Amino acid sequence: MSTEIADRDATIVAPEQASPDASRRGAPVHHRDFVEKVAGTLPYADDWGFPGMLHGVVVRAQLPSARIVAIDTSAARAVPGVRAVLTAADVPHNGIHDEASGLGVDAIQQPVLAADRVRYDGEPVAVIAAETPGAALEAAGLVDVEYEELPGVFDPEEALRDDAPAIHAGGNRYVDWRSSIGDVDAAMRSADLVVEETYRSQRVDHAYLEPEAGIGWIDSDGVLTLRVSTQVIEHAREIAEILKLPHSRVRVIASYMGGGFGGKEDMTIEPFLALLVWRTRRPVRMVWTRQESLLARYKRHPFTMRYRTGVRRDGTIVAQDVRIVGDAGAYPLLSSRVLFAATVNATGPYRVQDARVESTAVFTNNVPTSAFRGFGAMQVVFGYESQMDRIAELLGLDPAEVRRRNFVQRGDLRVTGEPIDTGVGVGECMERVLAELGPPSRPSGPHSRIGRGFACSMQPYGRSVFFADRASAWIGLEQDGTMVIRAGVTDLGAGQAASLANIAGEILGVTVDRTSVHIGDSALTPLTGGTFATRQLYMSGNAVLKVARSLRSKLEPVAAALLECEPAQLSFEDNRVSVGDRSLTMAEVAQAAEHQGVMPYVHETFEAETGEFDRETGRGRSFPDYTHGAHAAEVEVDESTGQVRVLKYVACHDVGRAISMQRVEGQIQGAVAQGVGYALSEDVELVDGVPSSTLFAEYLIPSSVDLPDIRAIGLELHPGKGPLGARGIGEPPIGPSAPALASAIQDAVGVRLQRLPMTPERLLDALQAARGASGSVAS
Amino acid sequence: MYSAPFEYVRASSWPEAVDLLEGGGEDARVIAGGQSLVPMMMLRLAAPSLLVDVSAAADRSVDLVDAELVLSALVRHADIEHSEVVRGSCPMLTEAVTHIGNVRVRHRGTIGGSLAHGEPTAELATVAVAEGATVTVLGPGGERAIPAGDLFVTHFTTSLEPGEVVTAVRFPVPGGRRGSSFQEIARRAGDFALVEAAATVALDEDDRCLSVRLVVGAVSDRPVDVSQAARPLIGERIGEDAVGEVARAVAAEIEVGPHTHAGREYRRRLVSVLAGRALLTAADRAAGAVHTDHGNGARA
Amino acid sequence: MSKHEIALEVNGRPVSATVDPNMSLLELLRTEAGGLEVKLGCGEGVCGTCTVLLDGEPVNSCLTFAVQVDGRAVTTVRGLAAEGELHPLQEAFLTHAGSQCGFCTPGMLLTAKWYLDRHPRADREELRSALSGNFCRCTGYTKILDAIEAYRDARQEVSVVD
Ligand SMILES: Cc1cc2nc3c(=O)[nH]c(=O)nc-3n(C[C@H](O)[C@H](O)[C@H](O)COP(=O)(O)OP(=O)(O)OC[C@H]3O[C@@H](n4cnc5c(N)ncnc54)[C@H](O)[C@@H]3O)c2cc1C
Ligand code: FES
Ligand code: FES
Repeated sequence: MSTEIADRDATIVAPEQASPDASRRGAPVHHRDFVEKVAGTLPYADDWGFPGMLHGVVVRAQLPSARIVAIDTSAARAVPGVRAVLTAADVPHNGIHDEASGLGVDAIQQPVLAADRVRYDGEPVAVIAAETPGAALEAAGLVDVEYEELPGVFDPEEALRDDAPAIHAGGNRYVDWRSSIGDVDAAMRSADLVVEETYRSQRVDHAYLEPEAGIGWIDSDGVLTLRVSTQVIEHAREIAEILKLPHSRVRVIASYMGGGFGGKEDMTIEPFLALLVWRTRRPVRMVWTRQESLLARYKRHPFTMRYRTGVRRDGTIVAQDVRIVGDAGAYPLLSSRVLFAATVNATGPYRVQDARVESTAVFTNNVPTSAFRGFGAMQVVFGYESQMDRIAELLGLDPAEVRRRNFVQRGDLRVTGEPIDTGVGVGECMERVLAELGPPSRPSGPHSRIGRGFACSMQPYGRSVFFADRASAWIGLEQDGTMVIRAGVTDLGAGQAASLANIAGEILGVTVDRTSVHIGDSALTPLTGGTFATRQLYMSGNAVLKVARSLRSKLEPVAAALLECEPAQLSFEDNRVSVGDRSLTMAEVAQAAEHQGVMPYVHETFEAETGEFDRETGRGRSFPDYTHGAHAAEVEVDESTGQVRVLKYVACHDVGRAISMQRVEGQIQGAVAQGVGYALSEDVELVDGVPSSTLFAEYLIPSSVDLPDIRAIGLELHPGKGPLGARGIGEPPIGPSAPALASAIQDAVGVRLQRLPMTPERLLDALQAARGASGSVAS
Repeated sequence: MYSAPFEYVRASSWPEAVDLLEGGGEDARVIAGGQSLVPMMMLRLAAPSLLVDVSAAADRSVDLVDAELVLSALVRHADIEHSEVVRGSCPMLTEAVTHIGNVRVRHRGTIGGSLAHGEPTAELATVAVAEGATVTVLGPGGERAIPAGDLFVTHFTTSLEPGEVVTAVRFPVPGGRRGSSFQEIARRAGDFALVEAAATVALDEDDRCLSVRLVVGAVSDRPVDVSQAARPLIGERIGEDAVGEVARAVAAEIEVGPHTHAGREYRRRLVSVLAGRALLTAADRAAGAVHTDHGNGARA
Repeated sequence: MSKHEIALEVNGRPVSATVDPNMSLLELLRTEAGGLEVKLGCGEGVCGTCTVLLDGEPVNSCLTFAVQVDGRAVTTVRGLAAEGELHPLQEAFLTHAGSQCGFCTPGMLLTAKWYLDRHPRADREELRSALSGNFCRCTGYTKILDAIEAYRDARQEVSVVD
């Protein structure tokens, strides 16, 4: 039976339908960081300072492909107040990022500072530290780099040609993935209809509102310490390698982030800051400008996705053959993993007995691409959902019915040959969103058409299982009964820290106001792995749950003895441990425990399920689990201008169990906003590797008037593998927006766009092409 | 972000501003709201040696005198937005300013700055040309009046002489059965326009067109007065077919400059759509007909 | 570059400083007035993270020079309520989860407060357009609008009781 709790419009949830603890879980829990955010007092990375600190800037290449002939830094050094001007020669070990896939793809090192070769526009070539930001900027303008321009290659298909200029020694084909199940060619021949289409997605910027920032210093213990806006404190080790320092001599502290979305998963300012601090022995602050971030920060991979689908007349898929090419840009970063995720998720929430997916990540002289919310598994949603609509259209069937006929179920095999081992709620989500849109809106003018569409998705959470993911946490009780949680989690603003307090509180009964959560310090908090891959709730949440349970079982005998009852009779709630009407305060329990030599703290490690994946055959275990969902949208299209307005939007996901329904909704709504931007307007346009603009004004993230109210529905249908049955929700809701809107646009005006973003210009072009040039209207 | 260094002085009157500019030499610049100048300075696209702050040079006065709406050059976009006097006498201004930027930009940016900046997408420039406004200018050689149509030369270039400041902008307020409309499409609400069209229509008692003006903004290096192309409407009752023809003719002939994020043909098509909507809406308003919405391009 | 002595009021407190003309109001607030709640998101006037109220009106502190505000009054989000307390609008953001990463929040709160002070009965669509220049990348705006509307309604109830 499905239970829905704490819907946004709470009044529609009848009390008997709500789960018993809905009120408690739905109740607002104001973790400290949220209070400080609304007060304006939460310090972000850019808000820390030291007396006598220096200001760092990066000097960047201004062309996408070149040989560096010489760098003259003498004029820059002569600027008053300049304390360091460093180039590649000053970097002890000038290479970052070994192989990231975990499956033995050839390693290609990315220089911290370009040494002899520039491979993308904006690549760092020098770093400067000065007494004032003004002096640093002035010096940056005086670093004289002599380039010999080299031919570049900017289109992935062209980059794959034999005669294309090679960006790295091994050529431009970075990695290929291939997974298959059954006999796709035979199955394709047996199909009643084969539908073949190509879908294209674009390069997208994270556009978190907080640009990359941080401060570094050498602490009193001699340890190089960086406090930065990062998703991954474990980069401390990478930084140590760059400086050729013992790992124990570098510490990274993550500040609360003003948004990350994957863009702060690779290092941003860290290596530059570390170099400058180590060289000058002074504290250094570095903040990138927005324009610098738009120019050179790693983006989302543009994909070209060719889908060939064989179907029976009734819409049943019999064969799925997918070929994906992703533009990795100039360096590997996490491209191998992104394309891996795309490969194993390319068939969506649909049964595949005979299928094949192949993908390639290609080097180009474009800005590198790497992690971004949805991580390869979101681009393919546009592919497989557009394809489902096309199939329905060609067969004259209802698109919802075509999906119903093909939805996966628990136990079905994926293209990797692995079974889906938790419940699948995608069908319920689809029915729900279709029902929720309500009566259709009326067009607002004579040239406006209303249309509706929907899309489904299945996106993974957690790291690929062959990484044998682990997360550790520490929980202790102070003598006054307050609780301390230590976990190396980083907080992107999604309430990562708050969730840990909620989970531990649920087991130990300590309220959030009596809990301190210490997060994100590579030296002082047990490591959890970074906040990415929607893994944090799954990993750290499970770690904290495990530790909390273990601490509880340590305390239970102590409390039971005092209360003269069985441990199993105890309840931990509201900062008390009680049985019937007798109770102890948490402080009393903590003191009694210590008195008896039972230390009221525990450190443990949660180990995710593991599995093997064979790169050669493309078979084995990939992701631990998936979050399913469906979105539906209503749009109004102005046929004479091509403008699309989103009038209504409903997004529903099976979250297994919501730790906080409000945060679940917030994640869904935020992902949809990014999904709508991705669908309709966002595009980092490059012309031969050079951005046509680096102004934030021209990078079109949706503003408040570009979005309708987003109705977010979290269903608690099938327990997942997160703590208490939760499923990850950070990334999955970003996928369905683009295909849902494409289908709504098609419903409105009859043309289907297969290329993102679906701009008014592209839509108008498509409309004209469909109608012939004669049909244009003047007003 | 840091601009290059500069000196800063305040002028307490327009004549003082002119003196200070003269004394400041070639690289001296007026700063009014700073919403165009400061971003350019921060991005190091401009590096004036001296800024003469004119914000205290006069009041932000809005006056209706002798069938003329006189706006001090310091009147802000937000002042226009909320002024009942403006709405009553020159509603096209009210309609146009809501397309400008965001609430913060509208609270600093001034009409004088907007016109002096010579940005070809500026809404107020298009309106000034469409409404036949006159710009009052003070310089070392004294005061002169420049018809808005003669002010804009090309991208970021006006016919202001060095050392001249804009002190006021005058909009004629003709009586009679008159309607106006300002239409715009931007890539996102508040962004600089892709295309603007501004129209005014006057009708006789018989609903026949007495006069018509049509100006297209944001497509060329300055607002383009295409009223000539609308002449066939004069003496006629304004209807969709005739307007469609005019709009298509305007779109076919107008020179559409390049745009970083939108193709020429697309913007040409928008010219046709918006010119048509502006003319029809202006005519409807002139007729005092129940307001029919011909579809406003804005998403707001 | 000659320095200028300026004196202004920040959240009701006098602040005086000697500044270079090219120091932005944003930098002045962050360095001389302890106003770290004023955030630099773009420096172009588009994103709204640097919003402050200048004599009660919203402006881009990133596009205003400190010398231009000599003698004027600036309000940052910390000026909405007394030290250590939250304004009801801030409470509403908390209750309705109008803040995720929080980077847009100070600007959002100030714009909303300013707008509602002038238009106490503004409806949801009017609020939506008033906020069009304050970007949020985390929330999709829905819960921000929920929070602002809740505050508006609560305030109206109070004034009806009065
Ligand atoms: C995010 C953002 C979005 C924007 N969107 C739009 C938009 O959609 N449409 C639009 O039209 N504008 C837009 N603007 C610009 C805004 O309208 C400016 O306010 C306006 O263009 C210039 O007015 P200002 O008073 O700010 O002038 P300033 O920036 O102070 O000055 C601009 C130029 O005019 C000169 N100048 C100023 N006043 C005078 C005077 N009285 N006499 C002689 N010269 C003078 C200055 O020396 C300078 O060269 C936007 C700005 C921003 C930051
Ligand atoms: S920082 Fe001022 S508007 Fe973005
Ligand atoms: S809460 Fe992160 S930008 Fe708004």
